[in-house]
Amino acid sequence: MISPDSVTTTGPIVIPDHRPVSVPFGLPADAVCVSRSLPTGEHVEVLSVPLEETAAPWPPATDGGPGGLEDTIRRWVSALASPAATVVVVPLYGCHVAWTAGRAAVIGPPERLGQLEAAVVEFAGVEADLRDAERRAAALLDTVEGDVATSLSLDEHSPDRCAELADRHRRAVAVGRRLALLAPLVHTPPLHPPTLASQLGERLRERTRLVERLEFATQRAEFAERVAEACGQRALEAGIARRQLGLEWAIVVLLVVQTALLVVELLSHRATP
Amino acid sequence: MTFSSQDATARPLRVGIVGGGPGGLFTAWRIEQLASARFAITIFEASHRLGGKVLTPSFTTAAARYEAGAAEFYDYSPVGDDPLRGLVRSLGLATVPLTGAAVIVGGRRIANLDDAGAVLGQDGREGLLAFDAWARSAMTTREFYDSGSDHAATAAPDGRFDAALAATCRLPARSYVEAMIHSDLATEPATTTAGYGLQNYLMNDPAYMRLYRIAGGNEQLVTAIATRLAARIRLGTTVTRIAGVPRAPLTVGWRDGDAVREEEFDVVILALPVGPLSQVVITDTALRTSLARHVAHHDHPAHYLRVTLLIDRPVRGVPGGDDYLMLDAFGGTCLYVESSRDPTATHGVLGLLIGGAAAAELAGETDDVLAAAAVEALPPGLGIGRREVLEARVHRWNGAVSAAPGGWVPLPVDRRHRPSPAHPNLFVVGDYLFDSTLNGVLDSAEHVAGWVAADLAGDPDGVQPQQNHA
Repeated sequence: MISPDSVTTTGPIVIPDHRPVSVPFGLPADAVCVSRSLPTGEHVEVLSVPLEETAAPWPPATDGGPGGLEDTIRRWVSALASPAATVVVVPLYGCHVAWTAGRAAVIGPPERLGQLEAAVVEFAGVEADLRDAERRAAALLDTVEGDVATSLSLDEHSPDRCAELADRHRRAVAVGRRLALLAPLVHTPPLHPPTLASQLGERLRERTRLVERLEFATQRAEFAERVAEACGQRALEAGIARRQLGLEWAIVVLLVVQTALLVVELLSHRATP
Repeated sequence: MTFSSQDATARPLRVGIVGGGPGGLFTAWRIEQLASARFAITIFEASHRLGGKVLTPSFTTAAARYEAGAAEFYDYSPVGDDPLRGLVRSLGLATVPLTGAAVIVGGRRIANLDDAGAVLGQDGREGLLAFDAWARSAMTTREFYDSGSDHAATAAPDGRFDAALAATCRLPARSYVEAMIHSDLATEPATTTAGYGLQNYLMNDPAYMRLYRIAGGNEQLVTAIATRLAARIRLGTTVTRIAGVPRAPLTVGWRDGDAVREEEFDVVILALPVGPLSQVVITDTALRTSLARHVAHHDHPAHYLRVTLLIDRPVRGVPGGDDYLMLDAFGGTCLYVESSRDPTATHGVLGLLIGGAAAAELAGETDDVLAAAAVEALPPGLGIGRREVLEARVHRWNGAVSAAPGGWVPLPVDRRHRPSPAHPNLFVVGDYLFDSTLNGVLDSAEHVAGWVAADLAGDPDGVQPQQNHA
């Protein structure tokens, strides 16, 4: 059986299915909203709003104010976000993207919406994968203090914890492996000359601080792995020591028995005239 | 014989540095770091401030800063060691990345390949991709990094950049490329080498280098160095002559108000742009001839002109979240929205960097004319006319950097810095000796400082410092 820790993202995100979602009120009739599933099992709702763009160097900002199109999509995206969640708004060249975990909205020329959507879904897949790995890396740290304490005060139960610590170590390694597989996707070098999709990917990665988050999660996983490995080693040593002690006692008993037999034999020889 | 072998053990070596710009300050800083106890350094600066082209003044109408000279630093760390980045870090200065992808051609924006296809057509897009592929094959990231050093070698053609462009980049992609690089080039494609032109194109690729600025103003770099120097600094002193025979201390004569004074130095370092360098009177015939030859070899002036506008309201950032974009006005102009990343800004600051022939032509115009021309050049979508401009500042940097004309071959690095072998105690430092950037002037300063320190240490061959980057 494949454990949840083994879920990895190793290549281009495959979008297995999508289903339509109702478009929020107040948007143009040709706006489309679909829900797409991500490799982690999560879904992301993507709202696409086609808008003609003229490649003007400095497009007018009239629709960015309260009640404007940009404001409407930002509010729609924010509605799903928890208070602690990040809502990222990226004004791109002739396009506008708002994103939070689970929801994204894209405004842009009709002929570019497809690639913008694909870039958002690809990013959402990487981000969801990283978020899940972050959660698992954080959970690993919850047990660290208890493990360290018991590893330094060994008792008769310490060897029994070997299996538990081995499982902890295995999970830390699994998180580390998953983060290592994510690293190339997070550190994707900027494309040159850029495409609109590559620029959007770069902006989203930058604004959601994926590089720093990956680094922190990797540090946590490595730390948890080191602790689990060290504690497991101590528990293993305790187990070996306990087995050695038993063996030593067996030898002592054998020696005592042997000595006793020898004494009995000597006494019996003496008693014989 | 080295310049230090006379009586350097009896007293500190007297070093005179002419020029208090980045070259002079970097050189003094590096010498002091290498052997501060045995040097007595004097810096002569004609103006009443240090820092030269690194200048971050404020407007008088509002408390808003702007970059009047060097607007950004180049970050070579993706490719190799970056001494300037290291220096900035060691001084504890915070940095901010600078980005800009958009180029305005014929009133339409090209910020990516999708825009290129829409604006230039499929042919234009293909032409741009073909040129980009050629440029990257002609100069790899490592060759770009090493350009200016003695072991520089690229597959770029030797001739002029305009010829290389004509052969490798067909219209309309060529118009886009020319507008994109013109303000950085500070000259015209016809008056520079293909290699220099390629460098200015490839610097837009993050794999080659990135841009950054110092938070709070680039001038903090020179201020931070100046406050740490133990050197004696003479502001408002114009060096007028240098006298001395070969292999003997040199006498520096300078004007301090109406008074003319002189002082003897064991080592003299001329950290001046090419123009002022040619105006220094040299009494020794051999040295004068050598320095004239040095000036003639490097005298290929390129020009900048900066017009900075203070706007009566905050200006929205460049679309795409960038810090600057390129306009095709004046043959290619960089527009910086300097206030874009300051959420507390009450005013907008727009800086236009005009380069090359347009900068030379416009330099003779009045500030008012230039401000009006700058407003005219702004993208219409910004909605800024003359009424919105509260104040305009113009900074003319004529001949401030060096163009490398087609066929021009740089001298070996040692020859560049010591123009007269008969005068081993006279050095020159400058950005024009490398790539006309602050990174280049630091390379130049490090080379000379290392040389001076090694010679003082008694190495008869004058240990050559490591060439970090050019």
